Amino acid sequence: MTNSNAKSARYWQTLLAGLWRENPVFRLLLGMCPTLAVTAAVKPALTMGCCVIFVLICSNIIVSLMRNLLKPHLRILMFTLTIATFVTIADLFLKAFVPRMSETLGPYVPLIIVNCIIICRAEACASKNPLLVSVIDALGMGVGFTLTLCFLAAIRELLSTGKIFEAQLMPDAFVPWAAMSMPVGAFITLGLMLGLVNIVAGRKA
Amino acid sequence: MQQSWLLIVASFCFGLLIAVTSAALSPRIRQNEINKRNRMVTVLLPEAKDFILLDEQIEIQSLQGKKEKVEIYKAMSGTDECVGWSFEATGSGFADKIKLVIALDKNFEKIAGFDVLLSNETPGFGDQIKYDYYRDQFKGAPAGELKLVTIGERGKIDSEIVAISGATISSEAVVEIVSNSITRVKEQMLKKGIIGNDKQ
Repeated sequence: MTNSNAKSARYWQTLLAGLWRENPVFRLLLGMCPTLAVTAAVKPALTMGCCVIFVLICSNIIVSLMRNLLKPHLRILMFTLTIATFVTIADLFLKAFVPRMSETLGPYVPLIIVNCIIICRAEACASKNPLLVSVIDALGMGVGFTLTLCFLAAIRELLSTGKIFEAQLMPDAFVPWAAMSMPVGAFITLGLMLGLVNIVAGRKA
Repeated sequence: MQQSWLLIVASFCFGLLIAVTSAALSPRIRQNEINKRNRMVTVLLPEAKDFILLDEQIEIQSLQGKKEKVEIYKAMSGTDECVGWSFEATGSGFADKIKLVIALDKNFEKIAGFDVLLSNETPGFGDQIKYDYYRDQFKGAPAGELKLVTIGERGKIDSEIVAISGATISSEAVVEIVSNSITRVKEQMLKKGIIGNDKQ
């Protein structure tokens, strides 16, 4: 009984690590390229997050299954191959079923291949842990990444257009800050959020 | 050499996986592209019901000086009459390539309008080339050389296009793409006798 309790506690811990303690964007500072590039609005951020979750889970499954066959010198090569396959599939699905979103995201979907979160999770977790832990880890990290992206995107979209998901949230007198939808807005928002998260994390510790 | 078999087997399996997905989805992806263009042209030429690809090969000189093949689509109404023409044209914008779909009336005399298929202009400035206030200036403008001006009246439809303030380069790029491609396509179409001799 205690054994299974300890096990499920570990699963929960793995799942929750991605959301706060080891949040890929705020704590590990991984995957900055999509974080800066696709957070101008919530919809593309959400789509990007879903793609990352899909790729992360698939690649963690494959890497975890073949972890005993991997030799150190072939490791990174196999990771990249696995990740590239699933990213290509995700890209094709976006093009076929949500063509407009695929256009908005442009090159950033194929660029998931070089997203550090995925290769980091393959190396740090999936290549050392059994299947279930790897999947839970992928889910936690993926959801953490998606939520962070959506959070940043919500701030930027609100300030740059006064709307979120087409819904007007700001009063009519609000003057949109066009700069927030440009790269400069991404850097400022991310920087301020990182500072804020550090203050909060410092207080807790 | 150790374990290279794993890499070879994995590459083969993954390749197969991608090939299957791509084969299954590619008709849909192609259809999406056609639908998008048709949807845009239908807005510009409201009477158009069907689009037929012209058999004749039209080759024009692009702004970069390269020879480019242009696919010309004949827009047909419900009663099988020609109501206009459309084609795609590309050129460099401020940040990246701009790809437009341009529609003209059936005699190639007036521009029916354009829409942006692909662009990566600065949000808030250059991307206003997609906005109606800028695009509407092209609707009904003469199909030929257009000129960009910085001060003028947007409501007046003529060969003068008023630039977007703060985005002169993007505005100019669009004017150049539209005016260059229309002039050259028109030239070729007249030469081949597709338009201009009551053969409609």
